Amino acid sequence: MHRLFVFLGIAVTLSAQYQGLKSTWVEPSSNIVLPASDTFDNSNGTVGIINAAGPVNTEGHPFFVPLGTNGRACVNCHQPTYAMSLSAASMVERWITTGGKDPVFAAFDGSNCPNLPQDQKSSHSLLLNRGLFRIPLPWPPKNSDGSPKPVEFKIEVVRDPTGCNTSAEYGLRSSEPTISVYRRPRPAANLKYVMSGAQAIVLKTGMPADVDPETGKPVPMNLMSDAREPTLKTQAVSAIMGHEQAGGAPTQKQLDKIVEFESQVYAAQIAHIWAGPLELPGGPGTLGPAALRDRRAGVLGDNEYDPVFGRFDNWRKGSDYYRASVARGADIFMFRQFWIRDTAHINSIGLGNPVKRTCATCHNAQTTGQDLSAGWVDVGTTNFPTWTEPSTWAESSELPVFKITCSAKADPHPYLGRVIYTTDPGRALISGRCVDVGSIVMQQLRGLAARPPYFVNGSAKTLREVVDYYDRRFDMKLSDAEKEDLVNFLGAL
Amino acid sequence: MRFCLLLAGVTAFAQQLNFVACPVVRDTKTVPCFLAEYEGELYYLGIQQDITSDFHPPQLKHEVLVEGTVAAGPRVCGGIPLKPLSISVIKEVNLACNTLLPAEPGIEAPPAARGAGPATHPLDISSAKPKELTGPQEFTILYSFNDDFLEYAGNRVVNEAIDYAKRTGASSVKVTGYRESTVLSNGTRLVEKDAIAEKRAENIAALLRGSGVSGVSISSKDEPESGPAARRVAVVVTP
Repeated sequence: MHRLFVFLGIAVTLSAQYQGLKSTWVEPSSNIVLPASDTFDNSNGTVGIINAAGPVNTEGHPFFVPLGTNGRACVNCHQPTYAMSLSAASMVERWITTGGKDPVFAAFDGSNCPNLPQDQKSSHSLLLNRGLFRIPLPWPPKNSDGSPKPVEFKIEVVRDPTGCNTSAEYGLRSSEPTISVYRRPRPAANLKYVMSGAQAIVLKTGMPADVDPETGKPVPMNLMSDAREPTLKTQAVSAIMGHEQAGGAPTQKQLDKIVEFESQVYAAQIAHIWAGPLELPGGPGTLGPAALRDRRAGVLGDNEYDPVFGRFDNWRKGSDYYRASVARGADIFMFRQFWIRDTAHINSIGLGNPVKRTCATCHNAQTTGQDLSAGWVDVGTTNFPTWTEPSTWAESSELPVFKITCSAKADPHPYLGRVIYTTDPGRALISGRCVDVGSIVMQQLRGLAARPPYFVNGSAKTLREVVDYYDRRFDMKLSDAEKEDLVNFLGAL
Repeated sequence: MRFCLLLAGVTAFAQQLNFVACPVVRDTKTVPCFLAEYEGELYYLGIQQDITSDFHPPQLKHEVLVEGTVAAGPRVCGGIPLKPLSISVIKEVNLACNTLLPAEPGIEAPPAARGAGPATHPLDISSAKPKELTGPQEFTILYSFNDDFLEYAGNRVVNEAIDYAKRTGASSVKVTGYRESTVLSNGTRLVEKDAIAEKRAENIAALLRGSGVSGVSISSKDEPESGPAARRVAVVVTP
């Protein structure tokens, strides 16, 4: 009964600053003040947002005002309601609300290809169905001085449902050869964790880490799906020049303000729809955004003495069905052993193939479940044969398919060899290396309930589909009850 | 007759074995063992450990080059132990290498520093502490066959070299890459690819320079040397 009251109390206070508004969507240049803490409903319960530096006046703030030519601001794709990311459902809602005129649908990357008729829903199907933005990347990749990087493979477009990769204007054979891949936006929150753990030598490559161009110091290389930008500042420049289509670079002051905002905002699920608050005393101490604000970043959690998401002992023993289920899910995450195999940059870096371990072996960073070392891994979500798309010959797939043929002189992909079919070559589009094909930087596991679908290509619509994927991929032999426990656990993060 | 058998046994125990084969993974109630079969006999290579271990297990979907000496003592995990032992994962994918044996009663893995679950104690990184060194020092980084990937142990050595060069304000840092030629027990000669010595040296030089070490010069020895120790980069730091 008490829990019910607590939950109702939370529900009543949800999104107080938006009372009277139809939506919690933050429009660019809306000049609102974001409170120090806020909550937003989702189908699983409530996500909490904390601005650790206090209320944020968005008036004139470069994160919240358009700096480019298409009317977009950073906030378009990093909304508090969706744990500072977006859900696919939110895009459908915006399409309906704005008749497809919201700048989030900008032709440049909010549509499947800029040359498609922009007033048609079908031209934005990847964003509407999967929450994917087009990421146009130059091919071959370039060094920071603009010179082409050496590449170890040939890339061909095998299927092109969006038409962009074979377009004479935007494609691989255009005057500025470009590969378009389609990816989910990552949460612009909890970034002290994403930006920690830098090592001079990248454990997974044995090569020097990228460096901060301002300080010359190594960076953790866990930012973005392919680690192509070294710092929050360079990422902001890239996003403003690309996603916002700015005509000129932002000022230093604007960049500082963006980074300052991003570095103090925390997002995590804070309440379950039936079970109520997750931050109660006696819990694991890692749930909710306040824990993210207060805990130390860069701590290895793949251990029994200080686990990734803390201890759920009291929840395991309690009578509350949901909390007990979350605790069992946490146990599966930390302790259920299975064969991790054929995973490039995990099995191939010295652990052996297969390795009998647990989820926490790879998702080892405390409080977020990222990888503490530079975390690009080919877990198989984009590479045939384990991706969840229909096969290459199926016409229903919405994503492009590329054929990668590796040079005989290069090291092959460790488990797929020298010819690889992929919907997204991932890190390889940046490094030019065959071993990196399909490797995607592992992302934080926080605020998940607020921002479906999942995986870099939005191929898992629900957390259950995520769990099903891992169960199939690694033959975990999870029962339905165990899958439910894992879903509840992930949804509580 | 017994004397003859004993002599044969001694010979067998001193036998150097170099071969390429598919690895075999054997599950146990703790961590898996890695083995390889050669001429109808099973040899024990090692167990699953942590990334910080000196032994990096082989990989299914790849053959493994085994260079070892048959050691005395009982079988381990069902295989004859080899000591010293060097293994290298052959880079090309071989889908035929896919044998994972279930755990069997009576076959146990040797004690592991870390089990298959989360770690039970912090990693031992004591060896990463700076050594008390003076004068010219050589730091040796070892590699797998035909590989320029810097493994964890090599990573540690490079960091030691960087620390020493910086601490002493090194006047010269000479980086020399080498490569191996080995003869398999069946008489086949395997030679590492031509450019590997140079590539190894270039990679290490890039790490040194990237860490702010100056005065780095590179060379490589194209003439292959024999034995696993030839797969190396030598970094000579002169204060």
